[in-house]
Amino acid sequence: MAFVLVTIVATTAVFSLVYLQIREANETRNRVILEDEAAKSVNLAVEELRTAFEVRLTHDLRRVDYAALFGADRKAMFGNIDVLPAIPVDGKAHFVAASPVRGTVNLPGPAIFVARARSDGTVMLLGRSLLETLAFRRTVQNALATGLAPMLLLALAIGAFFARRSSRRLTDIHDTIAQIMKGDTHLRLPVRSRNDTIDKISEDVNLMLDEIMRLLVQIKGVSDNIAHDLRTPLAVVHAQLERGLENSNDEQLRAVVKQALAHIDKAMLTVAALLRLADVEYGPKSSKFRPIDLSAICTDLFEFFEPLATSKSIKMTLEIESPVQTLGDGDLMREAVSNLIGNAIKFTPENGKVSVSVTEEDGRPVVRVRDTGIGVEPAERDRIFQRFYRTASGHRVPGSGLGLSIAAAIANLHDFDLRFDDNDPGAVFEMVGRIRHTGGSFSQASHPSA
Amino acid sequence: MANEIKAELEGLGYQVRMASIAEAADAARVGAAAMIVMDRIVFGDDSLNTLEVLRKEGIKVPVLVISALSSIDEKVHGLKAGGDDYLAKPFAMVEFVARVEALLRRLDDVRTTKLRVGDLEMDLIDQTVYRGDTKIDLLPREFKLLEYFLRHPGQVITRAMLLEEVWQYHFSLETNVVDVHISNLRKKIEVRGVPSLIVNIRGAGFMLNANA
Repeated sequence: MAFVLVTIVATTAVFSLVYLQIREANETRNRVILEDEAAKSVNLAVEELRTAFEVRLTHDLRRVDYAALFGADRKAMFGNIDVLPAIPVDGKAHFVAASPVRGTVNLPGPAIFVARARSDGTVMLLGRSLLETLAFRRTVQNALATGLAPMLLLALAIGAFFARRSSRRLTDIHDTIAQIMKGDTHLRLPVRSRNDTIDKISEDVNLMLDEIMRLLVQIKGVSDNIAHDLRTPLAVVHAQLERGLENSNDEQLRAVVKQALAHIDKAMLTVAALLRLADVEYGPKSSKFRPIDLSAICTDLFEFFEPLATSKSIKMTLEIESPVQTLGDGDLMREAVSNLIGNAIKFTPENGKVSVSVTEEDGRPVVRVRDTGIGVEPAERDRIFQRFYRTASGHRVPGSGLGLSIAAAIANLHDFDLRFDDNDPGAVFEMVGRIRHTGGSFSQASHPSA
Repeated sequence: MANEIKAELEGLGYQVRMASIAEAADAARVGAAAMIVMDRIVFGDDSLNTLEVLRKEGIKVPVLVISALSSIDEKVHGLKAGGDDYLAKPFAMVEFVARVEALLRRLDDVRTTKLRVGDLEMDLIDQTVYRGDTKIDLLPREFKLLEYFLRHPGQVITRAMLLEEVWQYHFSLETNVVDVHISNLRKKIEVRGVPSLIVNIRGAGFMLNANA
């Protein structure tokens, strides 16, 4: 945009300059000629002057010349001007405005005059109408204007075109980065093989992303490997402790062993959950996807969890409109939603409320679990989906700390976003599909597997 | 792990033999094996192939597949190859034993129309349940739950088994939802003054008392 403005200003300046130069040159020419002629004629005899004037005026077919001689009393003697214009008699050119009124200098248009005193007391007046000059000026002005306007428009258009093209590329890059940050980590910036600066930077960013992904996978792999390797030893220790418990009558030892078993149980739960998470994130994916009905899944889970809610005097409600279909793995979806509902009930005190709803909003399937529980502090909201994160207020509630991570991974697998919102009080967790449905985009099986 | 399993099962009175998959298959063929416990990872894909062959031959010996692979895909794979149950590591020994016993005492008779324990009777055709002369109203899920218990009387039934068989959920829960369901079922079928038919087995799960 700045470029366009500079171009416009520069062009206008140049054109103005040219115009002014032409104008000035023209005017100067007129003045110089008149003053020169006045100077040259100052010593002619009156009769010679009269003859000269007659010749001059006769040849002046366009009526642009003025010439007159005035007596020392300032009364007109001969010529085509009968009143001396009010200018100093100094032999210099002066501008006189137009005045078609008789009684003053009778001029149809502006003119310049030179009035010069002669040695015999008479005053010689030479003048030139500026009408022609004005006409000429106007012609030049028009030419410039007609030339300038399209030039400016062209500059604007070209400027806008390039700006938009560059801006669109940058917008594309910005959008792609936003998508990547949201979790589409396989995306890369578009490179348009024009080898300009934008392309080079895009390529660099892509390489950086590749490296980051590689490192991330490595890091995740480390924790997965650990879980993997812990699996069998944990099972063995558990089994040994159980057998030890059976074979011992020592009360103290039994108490210790029972405690140890409880801790091993917790460790095994965590390991199993970690392995589950790794499985969801890296296992074979959408090949097993088929049309599933989210409403049916949530209805099923609602009936499953309702007794638990009731036992805590929590009022649980279900809102479903009609079948809401999506493409996915029913088992995984059940697991994800079950985590959300389980959490809602876990973190809501007695007499609270939990609601489960399945709707389609803006063409996207939405599963929402709302509770009136302890909620999540604003400071922690970014981190609740991380592995093992337990909130300050919730860490005393039993759990592996992986439930939300698993739910988020499952959501992502299905092209859903898992979002948190404040229910004030309490929490709202919603899984929102990323892809809009355009009616009838899935083949409707007569009994969609739920 | 194999040693632990052997020790545990022998402690319960079973005869346990460790063998290669081929030997186990042969034993099954001659009826010398009541059940096979197979570790998929140890024997690799050969084990599943051998199992498939065994099934094709019509050998119905119960097979429990244990594996380090916990994904549902692997589970389905194992079950499709002919396994009767699939347990992923890490598992608690009680879970393992419960499933072994469930398979050993499985009532395979599909012609059963009535299940009964003590004076509790379930009619699978009419979908009704009677305790003595009193009809008990059960919700469909409660019916399925009770049916599972009635099919495995006197056996330890873990929460995981119930989740998989009654609700078809293949994930673990961090809440005690199952316990609440059992508790509600107990209330419906119990008779005042008579100890509950469904008992808690500490650290393992539940059991339907067959000696009522």
